[in-house]
Amino acid sequence: MKQLTIENFKAMLDTALKNIKEREDEFSKLDAVIGDGDHGQAIVTAMSAIVATAKKGTEFKAMLNDMGFDVMLQVSGSTSTLLGAFFLGMSDHASGTELDAAGVKAMFAGGLANVQKQTKAQKGDKTMMDALIPAVEAIQACPSDDIKEILEAGAKAALAGAASTVEMKANFGRARNYGERSIGYADSGATSWSCMFESFAQAL
Amino acid sequence: MSDIKTKFINDPEQITPELLEGYVLAYPDQVKLGGENIVVRANPKSEDKVAIVTLGGSGHEPALSGFVGEGMLDCSVVGDIFAAPGAQRLFQALQLMKREAGILLVVLNHSGDVMSANMACQLAERVGIKVKQVLTHDDISAGIDADVNDRRGLAGCVPLYKILGAASEEGKTLDELVEIAERYNKNVATLAVAMRSCTHPQNGGTITDLPQGIMEIGMGQHGEGGGGQKPLVSADATAAEMVDLLCQQLKPKAGDKMMLIINGVGATTHMELNIIFRKAYKELEARGLQVVVSRIQEILTVQEQAGFQMIMAILDEDHIDYLKNKRADAPYWTTIGK
Repeated sequence: MKQLTIENFKAMLDTALKNIKEREDEFSKLDAVIGDGDHGQAIVTAMSAIVATAKKGTEFKAMLNDMGFDVMLQVSGSTSTLLGAFFLGMSDHASGTELDAAGVKAMFAGGLANVQKQTKAQKGDKTMMDALIPAVEAIQACPSDDIKEILEAGAKAALAGAASTVEMKANFGRARNYGERSIGYADSGATSWSCMFESFAQAL
Repeated sequence: MSDIKTKFINDPEQITPELLEGYVLAYPDQVKLGGENIVVRANPKSEDKVAIVTLGGSGHEPALSGFVGEGMLDCSVVGDIFAAPGAQRLFQALQLMKREAGILLVVLNHSGDVMSANMACQLAERVGIKVKQVLTHDDISAGIDADVNDRRGLAGCVPLYKILGAASEEGKTLDELVEIAERYNKNVATLAVAMRSCTHPQNGGTITDLPQGIMEIGMGQHGEGGGGQKPLVSADATAAEMVDLLCQQLKPKAGDKMMLIINGVGATTHMELNIIFRKAYKELEARGLQVVVSRIQEILTVQEQAGFQMIMAILDEDHIDYLKNKRADAPYWTTIGK
């Protein structure tokens, strides 16, 4: 696959929402270990808003921008802030109705850059960044010009990143107060974001 | 009718709109509603001056909307009881306040408020609204010299509203206002003490249990725990300990000009607040420090919690001028000015 159309992208989002809904309870249970146990519901609500807005999109830049605005204005909480920031950042580096491999890479890099403006969390802090950073890095590093292969590289890195959070001690935000208690469980945000990247590759 | 037996309220869900409705009806010369849960000045500041906007949950009256008025805040965006207002309402307020001179958003460091502010500012910038944020983090209960991210914003924001309101009326630019605010932020510290907790007005739950005869220095303004609990001591001993901790943070030098404010949080009487202030003032005097700005008032309350916040700052000359000599006319803070 050399070109990603806007319809392909909408299919990626639909698949992500479907898979995230199926695993809602799992994300909430992981969140309950060190948080308030609502991450499953939070990400389902946020992704539902994103998908609803994306359906109306006809062009990458405007569609991604509207997705970011709508999720932030309709859904409160950190999950929607970060997802909104991700899509707004993607909007800054995408345009038209089709993207080639370089366009896809630039779009994901823009998404990560904007999320990094919103959170100071780094790799190793046991947050969603442990899935997002490796995923975008792998997408950038992938030598192929086939978009499915590129997104598969991203998915693989995101899943490995999420798995690596099991051994980590929470080092960010309120979860930090739980320290040692967080070891042995994957981070809920890293897990749900890795599910999103896995879905993106699966959809193509 | 609510199940809460300790408060004069109606529907718990309607507390915030009802209290704001009463407030603007009482002070029509100074404030009005600019939208749902958005309080603005009755006589808006001219558009060529930077707007000062803040946000925060209700339940802390008169904060924060009590300080909307000439020479102070232009707009206060109100959340539900103890809750952040959310990005949507804040974004609406930023659109309302949009101007070429820009908007300065004063954010108290509480995760919900910070998040609402970050989201709303991110969206505002995308639609061409010029806005900058300053974060207040005056609470020192996380420890002397703790990382600013771990320090909550307490009532130290209120004098900052006065400083920024006066400076913006004077025509200071957005960047100049940020500098004035950050200089104040570096030199202000607040410590809270509680000796009786409060009930949440919506669910009736007690926020942190404090047994009788026990006080907690460092309690946050929603009753969340801070420092350790210990047996209640006299007003003088409490004031002296708090001054000592605040001075360890601020490290004032003899001759420094100080602000000292005792903020009652709800159930502690002005009788007690005066006694506390007296000792705190003398403690500063004994260190060779000169109190030039002072106040004893309920500026930010926590329902019927008993206790107070001691707010202390080392002031620069411009801060003193803005606090003392410039006119302010908000329902809960007036300065005649020179």
